[in-house]
Amino acid sequence: MRFLRRALVALGLTGMIAGVLRLRGTSGIPPQSGGWRELSGPDLR
Amino acid sequence: MRVAVLGAGAVGSRAVRQLASTPGVDGIAVADVDRLRAAAVEAAIDDDRVRAVEVDRWADGADVGILCIPGGAHAPLAATLLAQGTHVVSASDELVDVDGLLALDDAAVRSGRSVVIGAGFSPGLTCLLAAHGAATLDVVEEIHVAKLGTAGPACARAHHRALTGESLDWRDGEWRHRRSGSGRELCWFPDPVGAQDCYRASAPDARLLVPAFAGVRRVTARVQATRRDRLTSRLPMLRRPHPEGSVGAVRVELRGRRGSLHEVVVLGAMDRPGVASGAVAAMAAVWAGEGRLRRPGAGGLAALADPLPMLLELGRRGVRAAVFEGRQPA
Repeated sequence: MRFLRRALVALGLTGMIAGVLRLRGTSGIPPQSGGWRELSGPDLR
Repeated sequence: MRVAVLGAGAVGSRAVRQLASTPGVDGIAVADVDRLRAAAVEAAIDDDRVRAVEVDRWADGADVGILCIPGGAHAPLAATLLAQGTHVVSASDELVDVDGLLALDDAAVRSGRSVVIGAGFSPGLTCLLAAHGAATLDVVEEIHVAKLGTAGPACARAHHRALTGESLDWRDGEWRHRRSGSGRELCWFPDPVGAQDCYRASAPDARLLVPAFAGVRRVTARVQATRRDRLTSRLPMLRRPHPEGSVGAVRVELRGRRGSLHEVVVLGAMDRPGVASGAVAAMAAVWAGEGRLRRPGAGGLAALADPLPMLLELGRRGVRAAVFEGRQPA
């Protein structure tokens, strides 16, 4: 019983840490494709 | 404004042509050790403001002098120009020239003149792209430059030499020397050039970019090369270089932070290196002559020029920049 409780606590902590890292991480999945676009406009954006 | 151009090769002749199409430039003197070549530039442009002059009097009375000669002797020539009160623009992409020209910073500041270093395709256009891309980031942590292509024969020989010796990288506050020709990386250039293998090389880009971006952690420069280029880099060139290289491209990748997010900005351009270098050198000269640079002193275009107006002017002249945009998966 004690072992099961510790395992559940460990799993919960792991999930919380993963959630925080996911929220604070970069903007999701990195781009998988793309292309070049000529800069245009007065600000060259 | 009177501008003098030393060197009438692939870059110098294009710089003269760009200057001839610039209002506010009253006179353009062009000189070359090969007098016929300078005379050919004068005849080809057919503009009263352009005249071929002797090499020993090439910069007499000039407000700005552009050095488009092969690398190695740019620093002493620049010191002479500064002593006579002339702004200097150097198109050299050789490390020895860049180091010598950076050492002229104090003299340039004292005389109130500018020494624009590396005003070509790379460095030069890449410095402008780096500064332009950096404006979209709050913190710039890394800058990685890659170049493909060469202008004239002198540029091709410099590219050949650059694959031997040592490259210069900036990493965590200190210079790192690595073997040129190592560090293969697949770099994606603007279309239609596409993906090319690039290697470390004796390129001066990091020397010019580090002072312009306080706090930057990593700066690297690579040049495109084939297996044959790497294999024969330690030998003399096996055949004479072409009068001018074909299409070239540059790519500048910036990594940094925008707010709390890590971002990557990739800018590039595709053009014939001689054409783009001539345009960048000419615009740098005009900016220096008109007092539009940020400050007197010696430095690259990332440190001395506001990138947006110069990139807009280059775009009007056909040297256009592009951005790589990634698409998120559906």
